[in-house]
Amino acid sequence: MKTILRFVTVFLMLTSCVFAQKYITKNGKINFYSDAPMEKIEAKNNEVKAALDASTGDIVFQVLITSFEFKQALMQEHFNENYMESPKFPNSTFKGKINNLKDINFSKNGKYNAVIEGDLTIHGVTKKVKQNGSLEVKDAKVIATSKFNLAVKDYNINIPSAVAGKIAEKVQVTVDVTMDQKK
Amino acid sequence: MKNWLKFLIVAVVVGIITVITVLWYINKPNKDIEKATAEYTLNADDLYKQYSDNKAIADSLYNGKVIEINGKISIIEAPSDTFVVAVFTQKQDTTQLKTDDLFGDLNAEGGIRCTMLQNHCEGTKNTAPNSVVKIKGLCKGMQGTDLIFVKCSIVK
Repeated sequence: MKTILRFVTVFLMLTSCVFAQKYITKNGKINFYSDAPMEKIEAKNNEVKAALDASTGDIVFQVLITSFEFKQALMQEHFNENYMESPKFPNSTFKGKINNLKDINFSKNGKYNAVIEGDLTIHGVTKKVKQNGSLEVKDAKVIATSKFNLAVKDYNINIPSAVAGKIAEKVQVTVDVTMDQKK
Repeated sequence: MKNWLKFLIVAVVVGIITVITVLWYINKPNKDIEKATAEYTLNADDLYKQYSDNKAIADSLYNGKVIEINGKISIIEAPSDTFVVAVFTQKQDTTQLKTDDLFGDLNAEGGIRCTMLQNHCEGTKNTAPNSVVKIKGLCKGMQGTDLIFVKCSIVK
C-alpha cells in the first residue's frame, strides 16, 4: 500500500512539473513601424495569442490581422483590404523553437538572450526565419521581447506603384509578450 | 470685376476646399466606438454560436461592425490598470479542438474577449464575475476559439 501511495505521489509531482512548463497569453503586443520619405506608418495589436512550452522550447504566436489599430481610418482600411487582404488571410502565425533552450533557466528569475527559429506565415506565405530576442523570467511569468525587420515583398504584399514611394520596403516589428504560467 | 479675376477667385476657393477635403479624408481618425450607435444587439451565446456554426457568414455580417453584447461576464483579466479584458466564456466542443499544437489548452478556454477602452477599465475591474452586463465594442473576428472585440465600453 505504501509503495502505491509513494508511486502516486511521485507521479503527481512529475506531471504537475510538466504542466507547469507551459506559459500562455492572449494579450500580447505586436507593433509595427515604417518610416518612408512621405509617410510614417505605425500600428499596434494588443490581442496577440502566444504560448511557450519551457520543457521543449516550442513557441507559437497567432495574430489577428484586423486587430492592428492605426491612428488614421483610411490607412487601416488600406492595410486590411489592399495590402494584407485580411478577409482572405485573417491570421498570421509563427511556429518555432528556442534554439538555445539550455541557456535559459525557467526556474530562476533573470533576463536571457534567446535565438528563435521557425516558420512565419504572413499573407498566406510561409518563410523560415531566425531572430534574436530576449526572454525574461519573472516569478510565474515569461516576458518575450524582440525587434526585427520584415521585407513586405517576401510575403507577396503588393504595394501599388502610385504609393510605392510612400511605403517603406521594410517594416520594423516589435514583439512584447508577457506569458503567464499555465496553472 | 473682370471675368478672369472672377474665374481665378473661384478656382482658388475650389482648390482650397478640395485640398482641405482630401487632407481630412486621408487623416480622418478612427470612429469613436463608445459614441457610435450599435448596428446589432445580440446575446453573447447567440453571437458566438453564429461564428461556430458558419464563420464565413458571421464574418461577413459582423466583422468591423459596432455590436452591443448582452451576457454574463465570467472572467475579468487585468494585466495592468489601463488594460482590461472582459471575457464571455463559451463552452467548447473539445472533440473538435486540435490537440497537436501548443494552443490546445488555450483553445479549450475560448469565448468573446472584449478589450476595454481605458476609461472603462476601472469600472470593468469592479464588476463582479458572473454579472450580467451589456458591452459595446468593435468586432474584429475570430482568432482560434476567441471572438475578438476592441474599444469596448460598458453600456449602462
